Formats: sequence, structure tokens, C-alpha cells
Amino acid sequence: MLKSDRGAAPRLRRGVAGVLGLAVVLASALLGSTAGTATAKDDEQSTLRVATATAVTTFNPFLSYYDGELNVIGNIYPSLMSLDQDGKPVPYLAESYETSEDNLTWTFKIRDGLKWSDGEPITAKDAAWTFNLIMSDPVAATANGSLVSNFKTVEAPDDTTLVITTKEPQANMLYVSIPISGIAIVPQHVWEGKVDSLKGYKNMEFPVVGYGPWILAGNVTNQYTTLKANKDFFMGAPKYDRLITQYFSNSDAAVAALQGGQLDQLGGVTATQFDTLQNAPNIKTYQQASDGWTAIEINSGAKTRSGKPIGTGNPILKDDTVRKAIALALNRQKLVDKVINGRGIVGAGYLPPGYPQFFWTPSEEESLSYNPDKANALLDEAGYTMGDNGIRVDPKTGKPLMFRFGIHSDDTGDAQIAPYVQEWLKAVGIGTKVEAMSFDQLNVNLSKGDWDMLMDGWSTGPDPTYLLSIQTCATLPLDDGSAGNTDSFYCNPEYDALFNKQITQFDQGERAETIKSMQEILYQANADIILYYKNGLSALRTDQVGGYLYGEPDSEGFYPLQNQFTNWRTAAPATGEDAAPASSQTGLWIGLGIAAVVVVALVGTVVLRRRATAGLRE
Amino acid sequence: MSSVEVIGQAGPDPAGPPERGPAARSDLPSYLAKKVAAAVVSFFMVLVIGFVIFSLMPSNPVAAITRGRRTSTEQQQFLHEQFGLDKPWWEQFGDFVWRTLHGDLGYSWGYQDSVSSLVLSRLGPTLLLMGAATLISVVLGLWLGIRSGWRHGSLLDRLASGTALTLWSVPTFWLGLILLVLFASGGVGPIPSIFPAGNMSTPGSGSGFTPAHILDVAWHLFLPCLTMVAVIFGQYVTIMRSSIIDELGSPYLLTARAKGLRDDDVRRKHAVPNALLPSVTVIFLQLGTMVGGAITVETVFSWPGLGYLTFTALKIPDLPLLEGTFIVFSSTVIVFNLLADILYRFLDPRVRQQ
Repeated sequence: MLKSDRGAAPRLRRGVAGVLGLAVVLASALLGSTAGTATAKDDEQSTLRVATATAVTTFNPFLSYYDGELNVIGNIYPSLMSLDQDGKPVPYLAESYETSEDNLTWTFKIRDGLKWSDGEPITAKDAAWTFNLIMSDPVAATANGSLVSNFKTVEAPDDTTLVITTKEPQANMLYVSIPISGIAIVPQHVWEGKVDSLKGYKNMEFPVVGYGPWILAGNVTNQYTTLKANKDFFMGAPKYDRLITQYFSNSDAAVAALQGGQLDQLGGVTATQFDTLQNAPNIKTYQQASDGWTAIEINSGAKTRSGKPIGTGNPILKDDTVRKAIALALNRQKLVDKVINGRGIVGAGYLPPGYPQFFWTPSEEESLSYNPDKANALLDEAGYTMGDNGIRVDPKTGKPLMFRFGIHSDDTGDAQIAPYVQEWLKAVGIGTKVEAMSFDQLNVNLSKGDWDMLMDGWSTGPDPTYLLSIQTCATLPLDDGSAGNTDSFYCNPEYDALFNKQITQFDQGERAETIKSMQEILYQANADIILYYKNGLSALRTDQVGGYLYGEPDSEGFYPLQNQFTNWRTAAPATGEDAAPASSQTGLWIGLGIAAVVVVALVGTVVLRRRATAGLRE
Repeated sequence: MSSVEVIGQAGPDPAGPPERGPAARSDLPSYLAKKVAAAVVSFFMVLVIGFVIFSLMPSNPVAAITRGRRTSTEQQQFLHEQFGLDKPWWEQFGDFVWRTLHGDLGYSWGYQDSVSSLVLSRLGPTLLLMGAATLISVVLGLWLGIRSGWRHGSLLDRLASGTALTLWSVPTFWLGLILLVLFASGGVGPIPSIFPAGNMSTPGSGSGFTPAHILDVAWHLFLPCLTMVAVIFGQYVTIMRSSIIDELGSPYLLTARAKGLRDDDVRRKHAVPNALLPSVTVIFLQLGTMVGGAITVETVFSWPGLGYLTFTALKIPDLPLLEGTFIVFSSTVIVFNLLADILYRFLDPRVRQQ
């Protein structure tokens, strides 16, 4: 084979190319990093940068479902009430309210003198128009229709009076219009023209006319949303000039962004990420009381609203004793320790600890905490004799206590829980067959009653009415299988009576007591065995932001449930020794210089190369 | 499919120029017609398969979308009808074909927006990422492949082939995460945070074609692009290398050398053109899948492209959106295959003669 006559020139060119390549890489890194910090600070505006909970698809408050959007909507449109740090309603747009003798009429006094961001006054007519639109237009009812389903009329006799009459008394009225999880009130003069095209309307003409601590200034699809502070907000202006909520499709990337200083606050981190961040410099991790639970639901006899049994659920689970034994066999403390690394508390009552006024815990004697001996004794007593293979047998039918256990295939928590549950149930003579399936498949099976045991999880806003409602008989499906949104086919007239009672109790203390009695019934029924309440895990950059959190941590260090309506408004740029040094523009100029050199060198090489090979081209 | 057949053939017959008679040329319309017809048939198969797959998927979008929110029974019923789920499947299929032929890909449940406009708005970021990654990996891969094959067994060959194969077998999302943690978090040893952890631009940095914004996008593009290049350039290295090796012993190279040409010229002007055809096939296959983007890379780096759109659609699952992206991805592959077939006619004289 012939060897080429490689002169010095080609080798030199290769060297130059290599160096150039490296230079381009370095320059792009340097340039980018300086450009990033420089532009973030360019106009001397203080900016709070947080990660959004979900992607943003619309800012139309009539259609929005996702947390990432709702957090923004709750900050750019007003609502009648707001919440204090215990989750109790306090005045916002409504200064005060009174109810009629028959508890059917609510009269709200609307705060005078507030103006939409375009200068038009905010009046009771805006509120009445918003509620009436949701009540009359099915598209406008998409997101919040159920909140007004008990409303009869909503009227505004004058600019500061709003009168709502209801069909039945409605104790949760003060939660109907609250920031983020309730109805946002929109300016009638802006939205009147949008009614006909409401379905596809995304409300992305910036700046969006509204009122709240923030003004929606811009959005880049699937990337970030920009809000400007409303310096005239009557409850106190935000301390930052600007707020950016940025979307990350991957939570590890969001953690990296927080560590790398591209984010100031990040919520919803996993237990593992939380542990990593605990040791990171300039980062404060915090846990907040849970607003939801993880549970195992048990099919205690799926049936339709008319009482017709449906599905393939194992009839043995209709026996209260079997379900009670299952509850006793589960070591919930172990799950808290192992699955969520101790970041949460052991489950019992149906409503989560994030809302202390409704939180219920069982007394010592009714508590079904881990006790496999008692579970075994109960099953023995009920006649479920142990078979040769270690699985008990139903004395009536001779069938084994063998149950399907459906878990979410995309949930790592479920995957961790399943083997524990399988082992603990085995210890009391109950066999399980774990079936991992998609969220959708699991829901389809659930609604048809084709299940024995399933992993289940719910979270709730400050008003628990909906979460309580999915345990009532009224949520069972019709005979044709439609219209059901039951959680576990639980149906108990005694529970339903209390549900209907609490909705008419206008004294918040009395209502809370009724709701606690309802939870006691659910606890004893063991149709939903609450395993744990997982704390919200979040992290903050202490060198960037202060004053973000409110409330005092409890003895375990758990903060009260936070909400972005307050957090974003009270957060302030960090001061003192923790504060990060201000970046300078010098880096940008150095970067630009390097880039210029690289470009010149590249052009030069290409020209030289062309000249060197010119003789070979014809 | 026809482009796959061609992979097996080495290159143009170097023995002599093929005959270019008028008969061969007149075949062009019928050749084109055949290929286009095949593409149209494939497209209809895609429509059918797409519909079947996504109709068979168990789903209750109403529950999936509203879960966690208070919804009344009437409201659920309304959503159900709005999504057209109350119609029998043949009506849904008829609607589907009719709409698709008119360029309407349906209405996304999750985004509450038309699928066509969603796809269009995500096309740019995906083309930027995949275009840059494909270009760099083609240039890098072919360059390395040619040199490795030309001197196979050399240090460069062993290094290039080893690296290419190793990276080719690395899971994309894993490599992306590792790069992200290393270079974006600033949390690993002395490595500072020099690249952003995701997205396509710095929030609030402006937009449009200003130099600052272009630089900012390039800075955000770096890590995802590096991940893609690292994983895909290997295929070009191996294919180019093996086709060069196939050519090495050919008599025409000996002739070229006998004419006194320098080794570089023998390689560039004689060996490479003949060895390039299999790589062209692979490049076109890659271009066809380009629009589909890299679901994993886009998801790891929060890159707002089509791959990421598909990922969010899968999570709900948003069937019209999935169906729409499926059709768009499949038709791009069909179109690029068609283009490859046509291009082959010009690149490879033997195809003309068939």
C-alpha cells in the first residue's frame, strides 16, 4: 500500500481545527453563562425565579386544570376570599359578608376603589358576570362548574354588593372563590367579547388585564412565564419587581438548575433529591404539611347506584373482618421510613394534616396500627382456616384468600410499597398477586369494579367537600356504567347523612366536628386504608431569596401548607452575608472577544485551506 | 422500504460508466409514479394503524384530565361528548380520515388546542436541535469513518471505532442526565455550573434574532446537542468505515495511484464517492426520524420540541395529540424515504437501469 506524502501543512491544519473546536466549545460556555446572568440582571430589576408545578397550556381561568397555570391565575385575577395560613377563609375582594335567616342568601360587600390593571374599576358586576357565565355556559363551566352547581342566582344590585342565592344551604361558600383552587373573577369589559370563542381562547395577549399581586406580562410556550409586580396591590405589594415561573420537564434538571443558581425556589422534589439538596451550599430544604394521602383501596362490593353488583371483585373482601385484618397487617410506620424516607406521617384519617381544622386521628382503642397477631386472631376467629400453602381459605366457599393488587406502573412509590404489602399480608395468610398497570388501565378497571385491591392517592384543596363526596352513594355509577366518579365503591347511608349535614353547617367549628365523625366512619370501614401523608418537599436558595415561607415549623420541623398566593408576595431578595455577589458585564465582553477571535480564525483557516487545495480543483 | 434493498449493494460499478440511453430516461415518470403510489399506500396504512392503536388504548380522558378537580356528573358528560367519545368507532374513524386529509389533526384534550398548531409551534425547536445534531454527527461521523477505514487498525481507527461503539450503546437519557448533573448543577466537585439545566433560552432574555438571544439559544443548545451527537455519530463512523474498507482492494484505486495521485486525492476523489451510498441511506433514514425528535433528550433538557410534546401526550394520555404526532412522524419518514429513492436514481446509475 502506498503511503501518502503528508507534508507539514495538513498536520498543522488538523491541529488548528482541534484547537478551534475546543475554543468554540469554551467560548459558547463562557459566553452563554455570562450572557445568562447578565441578561437576568440587566435592567436592575429584582427577579424571583421559581419552577412551575406543571406545563402551562392556557391562562383561561374557565378552562384551566393544571397547577402550573392555576398558581399564575390565582395571582393575576382576584377572588372573593383568600386564605390565612391555617387554610381558613379571610376577606379579599369581599370586605365582609352576611347570610340570611334561611341560610340560602349570601350578601358580600365588595371592596370599593380597586381598579383593574387597565384602569377600569372593579365592581360587584364583574363578579356577578363571572359567576353567571360559569352557571349558564357549559364551556365556561369546564374547570369550575361544580363549584356553582348549587347556585340559584347571582346578582349585583350595585357596584359594591354581590348577592348569591343557593338552592340548598352551602357551608363551603367561602371556599368557592379563593385564589388558585377556586373561581377567579375576571373583568367583564374584557371578557364579554371572548364568550363566543371561549373554548379555544388561551388568554395570552400580554399584558393580561387583571388584578392581583402580579400582572401577567408574557409567556414562552413550554418554557417560562413572566409576571410583573403590581406595586399598588392593597394587601401589600410583592417585594420583587418580577417573577418568572420556569418549566422543567425533568425534576433532576430542575434540581440541577437550583444548584446551579438558575432557580430560587423549587417545589415537589423527591425524597432522594431532598437528601442531596440538604447538604448543598446556600440551599435550605423544607417540608410542608401534606395536602394528600397514599392509600390502598379495597373493593368492598362494587355496585351501581340502584344496587346492582358489578365487576369481578373478590366477594371475600365484603367481609369487614377481612378488611380490618388487612389494615392491622400493614406496618405503616415502616412505609413512612422506607418509602418516603421519613418525610411524612403515618396515615389514619381521610383528610390530610395540611388542613389542621379538619384533621382527625383515631383514639388509642380504635386505632388499627400494626398488629399482625391481632389480624391473625381475627381471621382465625372468623373461621378462615390456614391452608397448606400458607394462604387461608374461606370456610363458606372453600376459596383461598387470594387478591389482585393493582399498582401504578409509572409510580416508583407503588413499586416500593407492593412487596412490603405482599409480605405483610402473607404473614397473616392472605395472598396477593401484584398487577402493575397504567394509570388509565387502573382507572378503567376501577370504574368497572374489576379489581380487589388498588393503590390510590388523592390531594385536596382547603375545602374538603369534593374529596368527601367521592365516598358517597351518589357517586356510584348508573346501571349503564356511566356517570360514576366513586373512589372505591364505598356507600353508607350513615356517612351520606353526615355529608349532607356538614354542607348545611354554617358554623365552621360544628362543620369540622361533623367532618371528623365522617372520617371516623371511613376509618372503621377500611375501604380506603390510608398508608401515609407525604410531606411536600421543597428547596430554596438562601443566598437569593428570603421571607418566602410563612408560619412556624412544628416540633418535627414541618411547615404549615404553603400557597403561592402568599409565598410569591412575601418573598424578598436576600440581603446580608448570604446574598450572592452581583454579577458584572465583564464576563460578557470577554466572551464576545473570544467569539470574535474564533470567528476570524475560522474564516482564516477556511480561506487558507481553499488556497492550499486550489491547485487540485479543476 | 426500497431504500433498504439498496443498502446491500456496494456502490456504482467502477468498471465503466453505465449506459445512459433514452430508454432509461423515459422510465422516470413511471418510476416516480410507482414510488409515489407506494408512499400513498404506506400513508393510508399509517392512518389505519394509528387509529387502531390509539382507539384500542384503554383511556378515559375525562377522568385523566379532571382527576383531582371537582367535576359534576353533567360536566363529565359534557366533556365526554365534546371529545366525540360518545360516537361509534366507525364514525370516529371516518371523521378522523376526513379531518386528517384536510390537514386537521384533531383537538388535544390536554392542551385544549388544535393538534396541528401544537405540532407547528414545536417544529422549530426540534428542527434546530435535531438539525444541528444530525449535521454535526454526519460531518464528524463520516470524517472519522473515512479516515478509520482508510487506515484501519491505526490508532485513530481504534480510538474512533471504540468511542463510537461505546457511545452508540449508551442510553441517551442516561448520558443526558450525567452531562446535565456534571455541567449544569455546579454540584459535582470543582466543576462549575457552566451550562443551563434546561429550556431553550434564559427567561426574560428577550427574543428574536438579536445576537444576544442567538448566543443564549446556542448556549442552551449545547448540552442536548452534545448528547444527541455523542449517541448518533457512531452509526456514520461504522458504516462509512466498513464501506471504505470494502473499496480498499479495488483495482480502480490501484489505477488511480498508478496515475501518480496523492493518497489524499485517491481517497477523496475515488474511494469516498463510491463508498458514500450506504451512508446516504442511513442519513436519509435519520432525516426521516428527525422530526420525531429525540423524545428522551428533549425531556431530559426540557427542550420545547415535538419529542417532548409526545412525552406529555403520553402521560395524560392525550390520544388525539398522540395520533397527530404519530401521523406527522410517520409521514416524514415516508416522505424522506421517497426522496431517498428519487435521489438514488441520480446517485446510483444501476437504479436507473432496473
